[in-house]
Amino acid sequence: MIPTSLTLSLRLAAAAILVLFAIREAGAGATLERVHRTGVLDDVLLDSYPPFGFINDNNELAGFDVDVARAFADRLGVKLKLQTPAWEAIVSGHWQGRWDICICSMSPTIERAQVLDFPAVYYESPAVLTVHRDERTIKTAADLSGKRVGVGLGSSYEKYMHRELVIPGAPPLVYPFHDAIVIPGDETINFRNLALGPGVRLDAIVSDLATARTVSASSRVLKVVGPVLYAEPNAVATEKGDPDWDRTVAGIFEALRRDGTLAKISQKWFGMDITANGH
Amino acid sequence: MAIEELPLPTATTSRFRRRVWLTWAVLALLLAAGGHELHLDYAYMSQKLPFLLGLKLGSDGFIQGAALTLLVTAVSMLCALAVALITAVGRLSTNPAAFAIATFYASLFRGTPLLVQVLIIYLALPQIGIVLGALSSGIIALSLNYGAYLAETIRSGVMAVPAGQREAAMALALPRWIITWKVIAPQALRLIIPPAGALFISMLKDSSLVSVMGLWELNFLAQSYARTSYHYMEMLIAAALIYWALSIVFELIQYRLERRFGRGVAVVRAP
Repeated sequence: MIPTSLTLSLRLAAAAILVLFAIREAGAGATLERVHRTGVLDDVLLDSYPPFGFINDNNELAGFDVDVARAFADRLGVKLKLQTPAWEAIVSGHWQGRWDICICSMSPTIERAQVLDFPAVYYESPAVLTVHRDERTIKTAADLSGKRVGVGLGSSYEKYMHRELVIPGAPPLVYPFHDAIVIPGDETINFRNLALGPGVRLDAIVSDLATARTVSASSRVLKVVGPVLYAEPNAVATEKGDPDWDRTVAGIFEALRRDGTLAKISQKWFGMDITANGH
Repeated sequence: MAIEELPLPTATTSRFRRRVWLTWAVLALLLAAGGHELHLDYAYMSQKLPFLLGLKLGSDGFIQGAALTLLVTAVSMLCALAVALITAVGRLSTNPAAFAIATFYASLFRGTPLLVQVLIIYLALPQIGIVLGALSSGIIALSLNYGAYLAETIRSGVMAVPAGQREAAMALALPRWIITWKVIAPQALRLIIPPAGALFISMLKDSSLVSVMGLWELNFLAQSYARTSYHYMEMLIAAALIYWALSIVFELIQYRLERRFGRGVAVVRAP
């Protein structure tokens, strides 16, 4: 038999959980209400992730994500306000209403899904391999065994190199390499290190195609090699626990896809439609 | 020896000053020559310079770059000074509670990294219902952190004033506030100003930590341009030079204050 004091604490715990749920439920729909009341959509994104989000020559935020956010805010009939906090601040969730949405090229992972919701996948980005132009041995992912591979710290590419990446709703990935030495770090510094020469500090980098193409074009000593490693879904993130807001977001993105707005923005930045396969 | 017969402080003789400037110029030239070897893209640097300096307002109408760095530093300096004065009083107090609170606070904020404090104030406070903006979070973190250090500086300055000064003033039956402000404070300030100046210069550079909250200050813009354009060295060096120039201004102010409060015991260099 359970001692009385324990049943009492169990009851208290149950009550506390109920109260917590009540508070959570009270939060449902709060975001949409707040956005309409203030007339402003607070969107967070990356400031140094060209061509998705970056500061242009006029010192303004520009890029694919900015244009998508603008289209989204227009559809919602509110003004857009952009903020660029550190990535860690965004992905750690618990925004407490500080921001409304993150149209910021985030790939949904199981860990992130514990603190954030992903109401809409809005494009898919191919993950590719970049090497120094003098590199002779690395041609595909299968050649990465025993090599030093740079990846963005906390990125999905880091998970991929550790053979741990699970894309929700997609078949399990194939990892053609083993025992690669994964070196997580700042993506820009990684590319700089790779540019020092093959194997000086890094042998290869796994990143998304758009970044790899942009950096390779401006550095002139790097090149993208091999087939696409996998296609990564990129989603819109919201604070966890506001299903009404998530439904609204999903609905607007569906409309933006159907009327060709997303495709048009994609054509503008990439010369191709990376939004077609979204679901 | 009468005071008029003392040799002039050598630092003020023109020969000494000329040589100081000459050595500075040579060192600066050497540094510039070294920098030139990096083959920097000067056109890119000058294109981004107005933005880094904060000569233009952001698209949201708020100040940016070095101007925002200065704003954050200046406001944090004033707040840190207020916090430090209160803490120093608590630290010198005979009341155990006041002493405990002051030492607990100083220990906590001197014993944890500033970046961690910034992130906790920005990310953890919202979870207990306090949602602060990036600017106020940054100012609070900098003020609390530097207030703890500055309190120790103030305390050591006050304690370094010989007890005889206070006793003599009390023997003259001077009122308490006169003793504090006209006897103790001027002598303590002479000792406080050099380390306090060093703290403020350090704060100027540490203000770059608020960039993690997305404030578009000097370090944030330099990093962002660098990552986007692949001009890493250019932007790092440009930011470093601007921080250095601002620090020199701070140093000059500190030198002025030091001279003002050090008149009584001006150092005489050997000729």
